[in-house]
Order: sequence, then structure tokens, then C-alpha cells
Amino acid sequence: MRKMPSVNSDLDNTRRFLKARLLTDRASFHGYEAERLQIYDLLKRTAEHGESNSALLLGPRGIGKTTLVTSVLVELLSKETFHRNSLIVYLNGLIHIDDRLALKSATAQMNLENAVDGKVFGSFAENLAFLLECLKAGDRKKSKSVIFLLEEFDLFCSHHNQTLLYNLFDVAQSAQAPICVLGLTARLDVIELLEKRVKSRFSHRQIFLLPPEDGFEERLELFGSLLKLPTEQEVSTFEATHPTISPEVLSNDELTLLRNLFNPRKYNFPSKWVTQWNRTIEKLLKSSEVQTVLQNMYEYDVLEGPFRMLLFELVNGLDDEHPSITIESIQQLGESYESDDKVKLLMGSSVLEICLVIAMKHHSEIYDRDPFNFEMILTRFGKWANSSSSMQGIERPVVLKAFEHLKQLEFIAPLTGGGLAKVQKEYQLHRLMLTYGQIHQAVQRMQFLPTEITQWEISSLV
Amino acid sequence: HAQVAAGTPKRNIQLSNIIEECSNGRRVSRLLELSPKKLEPLPVEEPKTPKRNSRAASTQPTSASKGTPKSANKMKLIRDGTIKPNIHSRDAPVQHDANELALARERLHVSATPSSLPCREKEYEEIYNFLEGKIFDGCGGCMYISGVPGTGKTATTTAVLRALKQLSEEEEIPKFEFVDINGMRLTEPRQAYVHIYRQLTGKTLAWEQAYNLLNKRFTTKAPRRITTVLLVDELDILCNKRQDVVYNLLNWPTMPTAQLVVVTIANTMDLPERLLMGKISSRLGLTRLTFQPYNFRQLQEIVMARLAGMSAFNSDAVQLVARKVAAVSGDARRALDICRRATELADDQAKKAHLSVTVSMMHVQQALTEMITSAKVKTIRSCSRMEQLFLQAVTAEVTRTGIEECNFLGVYSQFEALAAFSGVIVPNPGRAMAICARLAASRLLICECGRSDIYQKILLNISTDDVHFALQASKLL
Repeated sequence: MRKMPSVNSDLDNTRRFLKARLLTDRASFHGYEAERLQIYDLLKRTAEHGESNSALLLGPRGIGKTTLVTSVLVELLSKETFHRNSLIVYLNGLIHIDDRLALKSATAQMNLENAVDGKVFGSFAENLAFLLECLKAGDRKKSKSVIFLLEEFDLFCSHHNQTLLYNLFDVAQSAQAPICVLGLTARLDVIELLEKRVKSRFSHRQIFLLPPEDGFEERLELFGSLLKLPTEQEVSTFEATHPTISPEVLSNDELTLLRNLFNPRKYNFPSKWVTQWNRTIEKLLKSSEVQTVLQNMYEYDVLEGPFRMLLFELVNGLDDEHPSITIESIQQLGESYESDDKVKLLMGSSVLEICLVIAMKHHSEIYDRDPFNFEMILTRFGKWANSSSSMQGIERPVVLKAFEHLKQLEFIAPLTGGGLAKVQKEYQLHRLMLTYGQIHQAVQRMQFLPTEITQWEISSLV
Repeated sequence: HAQVAAGTPKRNIQLSNIIEECSNGRRVSRLLELSPKKLEPLPVEEPKTPKRNSRAASTQPTSASKGTPKSANKMKLIRDGTIKPNIHSRDAPVQHDANELALARERLHVSATPSSLPCREKEYEEIYNFLEGKIFDGCGGCMYISGVPGTGKTATTTAVLRALKQLSEEEEIPKFEFVDINGMRLTEPRQAYVHIYRQLTGKTLAWEQAYNLLNKRFTTKAPRRITTVLLVDELDILCNKRQDVVYNLLNWPTMPTAQLVVVTIANTMDLPERLLMGKISSRLGLTRLTFQPYNFRQLQEIVMARLAGMSAFNSDAVQLVARKVAAVSGDARRALDICRRATELADDQAKKAHLSVTVSMMHVQQALTEMITSAKVKTIRSCSRMEQLFLQAVTAEVTRTGIEECNFLGVYSQFEALAAFSGVIVPNPGRAMAICARLAASRLLICECGRSDIYQKILLNISTDDVHFALQASKLL
């Protein structure tokens, strides 16, 4: 076995570093200064002055709502005055699917009297009564502030009577233990889901995180900053901006946001490698080909989350044969980003299946996308196959098998509703789930397809 | 004695046991232990295989000694009311800002209810007279209070009861007990019995037992019974299909033995006629009170009363808040929250400029735009170019067909045309569907589930004018 040369281990390190930063760097958040400050102030005032508040953080999926909150918490929790005076309760609408579960989790996280080692005793009604009595017994000056983070807030709105939301907002609006309710959701009209008494108790603080209107320059900057390696100087400033959190804060089992945060100190690179790597990235940024690919991506999606995932794919391709990110690899990424998966899937099917799809296309064209069954398609296919040179003499069961394969690939889907399910499978009505353009593309791009089939695809006359 | 107990029906034993328990204030389970059913689990039948036996013998005591008895004990103590519910206390008590703005913010918090509510004098008087009369006469009765959220229903009622409680302590009026329940704080209507019973005795029972005991208490005669005032908030939640809970709560006051006064609060004015059965709305009676939404003068007065003696707020600014809120809902909570947000904005400015700042029109205006207006237009503007194009395609399809609901195929053909027209590469259907799903996630569009694929129905969740207005400045048009 050959010993690994040092260049490769640097490359390995780089790949690991970039991947870790793309996935786990939840503590650093850039942009949206005003919004971040508002959340920061809100949480700080709750913990330090015992003020009760409620707010909603809204924004499309992938904009960085959770990252924003995590970064604020990282900054606040490193302070003694904050973490000694507050409890954080993390609830997620996808996990805590009803009030019963949410309440159990909240009781365990607040470590109330009826919870022992994370196990909560008593019925749902008792838990609710006990939690409310605890909060009622609390007082603004003496008891700890409780910060409720409700992720996927819109799902909490569908709980029975919205009991949990009513009670949380009610506590926030009355002289009880100081609490802050912070909801995170992607639905911009979430306030309309609240019942009117819950809506009245909500303080109507809505903080919107919206992407900037024309931010391609920022996208280029982001591309650079996500792929560049930090210099020694930058690592040392990281130390200052990301203070360590005391382990007692992390003992909360449910609050996983703050675990395994990205730490650049675990990686070290020779400074020569860093300058060399950064220079190639700079060069990439300057090239017009890369800019076109990035521009095309930007036209589709302006959000940072999906873009990070694309870069992850790019970094994943780094290995011994491809030791650096090149214009070609970026272009390849752009192509795969824009390609049509259904066309690819169609190109992988057999000639008989393609023939059936073409027959379906002709049927749909003639009858304006009316549904069809197997018999109709078989007749249409049979008419053509009899006159063709290569597709003669295919047995009916074979065609039926091909038809069912198409159904399983969801190129066609049965019509639902109204007693149609009892019909025999040859007579069940289906719809074509492809556009004509997709079929045309697939037929054109398929290799080794007999010419008569390509011809037949173009003209629907037999 | 044991024989007599075994001979009597089981239910009798339990009931007498409970009553005894209540009278003594501690659990007496002597009678229950004698009943054969309780004795059953004690003689354990030996399992046949020796392996199981050994495992059971080894695991049982360890698991039993570890956690369960401790927690079971704890639960028992909680149900008995021995353990008082409590929340962890903070490290150091809250330090106060001497800042005038911070003080104003504190006073403007919804929770800081003043001792006398401004603009609700008439309602206060009415509830006061009703309750005082009932307490003096020692008879029962019902009252129904309604009004939209945030109009001071609960605050006024509790203020009346606070005043009455004080008078009764000074022995100006007869003593009375006060119990309050809130429909939204219950997991189901029947838990109302449990809550009432707990507030009367401090113990938590199952609802059947609590109901039996309450029924016994209110239907039997007792020589030295004092009046009980029961405040039921969010009455509509207590109405289930059978309406047994509401019936019981409103039926007890009609008993001459009960001396129960029930004050019910709900939002809708016609709730008794709309939702309740005839016999229940008949028992609810016609003593009703409606809280009107606050008008702008009242809202202004409420805010100014909270800020009495402070110069932190510009009076015009308060008027603006009052007028804006009164035009929408007349909700006092909303007005107070907006004022509080305005003080925060002023505070931020003061921090930046190192000056003392009073809350002016500008801050209020900013707070109003933050808290009242929606961000639809801004959201459309911040969408990616393809998403904007897709939205346009939806509006185009809506105008073409004249129906609000359109399907993906139609929208896609419009989308292709628009993309070709504005010179961008036409995205394939899969990508277009991803765009559609993204717009649906932030609810600009409403879409069917993804299973119906290219036949999914699409509905515009914003007005077409919004789309046009937002995209006017865009490069696409």
C-alpha cells in the first residue's frame, strides 16, 4: 500500500471541513441584523427583566429561521445572567403532534414536580392543570423565565381547541411566571389559523425573514464564503464571536439545536494550502461560465438552504482525481439541477413501454386528455404494431405487464373516486401523468430506438 | 362489622368511604381493603416454568424499588394537594431599569391590570349589584356576559369579585366562596367538576367522584352553608353534544339548597339560543350583559390611564393607535401591545442616539405597520424570478378561464409561454412543480396534494391585484 501523500490528506481535511460547515454551522447567521436584534432583545428582556412576550418568526422554508434562533441562543446562553434565570422549552409541531405529547414534553423540560427523570406522571388533564398552576404560582420577580420555542407553529394550530396555544398566550398576557412564546413557521397567513380568542391574546409581533429582492451579488459572495477556507486570523476571531456554552445548559434532552455545533478549530491546514485553495475559488467566482450557472440557479431559487445542499453535492465530488472545484464540475452540477427526472426515467423504459406511452399520448391528443383504459391503448397500439416490422406478434399478457409497469412508475395513474376501484384491471380508467413535451424529448433522446417508432411518435395518424 | 360491609352493595361502600375520607381529611381505606375484589391480586399464582419465575423474582423488586413507588407517592401527594405546584426560582431577583420608557413599557403590559378599569363603570355597577344582591339574599342565580375578545369581560368580573371579597373580609357583607373555571383550560368539559371540587377542597379526584360529591353538596341541605360564586369563562367550550356539564352547572343554582351564583362569560351574544338546548337556555335566564367593543375615545382613555403621570408618550401618538385599533377590532389588548412595541422602538432609538426620546407619531406609525399590515406584497417581491413568473402564469390562467380554480397543466402552458416571451429558459414540469410547491408552502398559492401531479388544482391565495401591484416594478413586465 502506498502512503497517502500530504496533498490528499489536506484535500480530505478540506472536504470534511467544508461539509461540516455546510451542514452544522447553525451558530453563525449573517444578514437580517434588525430582525436578529429584535429576537435577541425579546429573549433577553424575558430572561433578565421578567417581561412576558409572544412573537412569530415567519419566512419561507430554507431562509434560516432556525439558524437565526440558534445563533441568538448561542450568544445569550453563554451569559451567566441568561442561562441561570431562564428555562428553554423546545416543542416541534412534527414531533408533538397533539397537546398531550406537547404538555408531557414541556413538563419534563421544565422539570416540574410531577416529572421524575424525564418521565411525567398523571393524566393529560392533570398535567395541564399542574403546569398552569405552576405558572400561576410563579411571579415576575422571583421565578425563572420560560422560553417556549414552537417550531412548525402552524401545526400547533390544528390541535383540539388550540388549548395549548390559548394557555401559553394567556400566561404571556397575565401576571404569572414570565414566559416568552416564540413560534416559527413557513406559513405567512398563520395568524388567520388562530381562533379569535387566541388571536386576541397573541401580541401580533410578526417578524418576517424575506430574501432580498435583487441579491445576486450577495449570492456570489455567499458562494465564495461557503467554499473558502478560513485563514488563521479568521479562526481566531471565530473564537471571540462563538463563546462556549456551559454544559448544564445542554442537559435538556429535547433541545438538540445547540449540540454538535460546527467548530473550525478541529481542522488545521497549512497556510500555503489555504491561500492556494482560496485563490482557485476566487478565480471561479470571476469566470463568466460559473456566474451563468449560478445565475440560472438563482432564478429558480433565491433561498440559502437549498443552495447549501447544492454546494454539498459539489464538495462531495472532490477526490483524488478531482482535487479541486472546477468550472466543469460546476457546470455539471447546473445541468443536473435543471434536468428533468421524468424524462430520464422514461428513457430507461423498454421499447414496448415507450410504444404504449406513445399510444397514450396519441389518445390524449385526439380526445383532449380524456382518461383511457388498457383496451383502448391496446387497440391503438395493435393497429400500429400490425403494420410495423419489429413489433408484430406481441402477446396481450406481455402488453398488460408493460402497462402495469407504467402504472407502477406513476407515468399513468388510475382515476380515483366513485366505485371505479371495482372495475376489472383491463377496464380501469387511467390518466397520463406526462406532458407531451416530456414524451417527445424522451423519444428523441433515446438511443437505439427503431426509426419507425420515432416516426410514429410524430404523427398520430396510423 | 366486616360482614355487614361485605354484604352491602359495592357502590355504597365506595361512596361512604369517600365521604368518610373527606370528612376526616385523610384517606381511610379500611372498608375497601375488606372487599374481596381488592384482595384478589395479593395471592400470586406461581408461574409454571422455573426460568420465568427466577426472572420475575429478580426483576420485580428492583424495578419496584427504583422509581415507581417514589413517583407514585409524589403523584398521591400532588393529588392530595400536599405538594404545592411551583416553578424554579431565578438566581437573582429582577433588576429594574430606572428608565422612564422601561417603566412605561411595564405599565403598558396587558398583565398590569389597573385596580379600577376605565370606561367599564356601568358594567362594573351592573355585575356588582347583581352579585351583591344574590349574596345578601343567599339565593342562587345565573348571569350571562358576552362580548368580543379584549373588551374587559373577565377583568371587570374579577375586579367586582375582588371588591366583594374585601367587603366580606371587613364583614360588611356575608361571607362567600369564589370558584373560577375556564373552559379553555380544561382538556374536556367534564374536567370542570374536577376543577371546581379542587378549588373547594384542594383535592384532585376523578370526574365521576367529583361530580357525585358536588351533586351531594349542592342538593342536600346544610344549615350553615355560605354562598358560592362560580365564574365560568369560555362557556362555549363546555358545550359538548350532550351538554350535560352546562346543564348541571346551570341546574344547581335552581336548587334552593345550593346557594350557588353562576356567572358565565363567552364571546358570542346569541350563544344561549344558538348552541344551548332549550332547557339550558331557559335555566340561564335573561340576566345578560353585553360588553361593546371599545371606541377610540375609550381606548385612548385606557392607554392614558396606564400612563398617568408620565411624559413618555406623545398624546397624538396614543390617539393614532386608538383610532387605528378601534377601526379594526376595538381590542384593548391590541392597543396596549402596539403601544408597547412603540416604546421598544423609541428605546432602540434612544440607545443609538444616547438621548432621552419620547414615543412620537413616527414610532407609533412604525409599530402599526409592523403589527397590522400583512407582508404579502413584500413576499411576492422577494420571490425568485421563476416564482414570480409562475404567479403571473396563475393570474393569466385565472383571467383566461374566468374560474378561480385552475389546474397545473393549464398554468404550465401559460408559464411556458410567459417564459418564452421574457426570454428565459423554459423550466421543465418537474421544476415548475417544485416552484409551485414552494409557493404553496408559504401559502401564496393553495395546492392539492402532490399525488395528483400535473392534474393538481391550484388556487391563488392572494388577490390578482396584489400580484400585479407587486410585480409592476419587476423587470419581467
